[in-house]
Amino acid sequence: MADRYDERVIEVIKEFASIGAGNAATALSSLLDLELMNEVTSAKIVPLSEVPMWLGGPEKVVACSYTYLCGELRSGVLAILPDDSATMLLKHLTKQEVDLSAITKLQLSALQEVGNICLCWYLMAVSKMIHIDMIPAPPDATVDLLGAVLDIPLANLGAKVDNVLAVHTSFRALEKEFEGYFLMLPEEATFNLILERMGVPKK
Amino acid sequence: MSQRRVVGIAQMVICRAPDQLACLGLGSCVAVIVYDPSTKIGGIVHVLLSKAPTKCNDPEKYADTGTRKLVSEMILKGAKKEKLVAKLVGGAQMFSRLNLSIADIGRLNLEVARRTLRELGVPVVASDIGGTHGRSAIMDTLTGKVTIEAAFSPVRVI
Repeated sequence: MADRYDERVIEVIKEFASIGAGNAATALSSLLDLELMNEVTSAKIVPLSEVPMWLGGPEKVVACSYTYLCGELRSGVLAILPDDSATMLLKHLTKQEVDLSAITKLQLSALQEVGNICLCWYLMAVSKMIHIDMIPAPPDATVDLLGAVLDIPLANLGAKVDNVLAVHTSFRALEKEFEGYFLMLPEEATFNLILERMGVPKK
Repeated sequence: MSQRRVVGIAQMVICRAPDQLACLGLGSCVAVIVYDPSTKIGGIVHVLLSKAPTKCNDPEKYADTGTRKLVSEMILKGAKKEKLVAKLVGGAQMFSRLNLSIADIGRLNLEVARRTLRELGVPVVASDIGGTHGRSAIMDTLTGKVTIEAAFSPVRVI
């Protein structure tokens, strides 16, 4: 896969990723009332079929927020937290014990809000960078098997997606550490447009 | 030695006993599982969408064309049409708050799979479908039993 894209593209994706994730971390800091440091540990283009393995397998339990872009660009956008990171974050936010297998309405609502903020702030940064409006639909969130949460994003694009812009970022605050993933599933035309706006010459 | 083969989205796999077939993390997708107990030939097609467009290069992606292809290929491989039975797994509504018509695709997938099986004369003998949670399905071709695993519920066998 990597050989299909030169280093310039990978550099662009990393820049895109760290600005987007950085912006999301800033927003999350104020929600959590914590000084949150974040570091993008990995940003790359992953073939769609390899996404579940990259995130730990289709049967891994994750908290997932999903939205999609309305307008010129067509892409699904997901923020994914592994189960332990989601539990830690929700505990801090709701000051309650959290059991993802019996998540309360309040906790789910908090999770939806975290997803909403992360996704919107991520997209805001990216949108400014490429000078194209990115208008996300109201997101929804759920806790379930990774394979299962990816079905709707795929179905919505009719599986017309080959490349996923995948970002892994770790967050640190006080003694807490957690990790999250941002995934963009653009249709091919959208993907090409993003690269073009980021200054990658057409092949 | 039995082997477990994973059937990904828009894929179809047919095998004989003692092998196992698995669909991992089904959300709105549906696993159409067909089995012939007399020859112990089993097959799964893992469909993403309900109805195929007129011009379609990947029949395995859709409930109508995928189910038809599965049944006809199983017969080609020696399964007996009159012995075939089907089980359906999946078709959940993963994101109910989305204002997208596709949010309901799980129900549509099930509806089309059921209708196609009825047209083909293959009875649906068991199912684990709908709801708002995902599951995995593992079929044992020795018995035709399907084990259902979900994130937060006990394992069940159908």
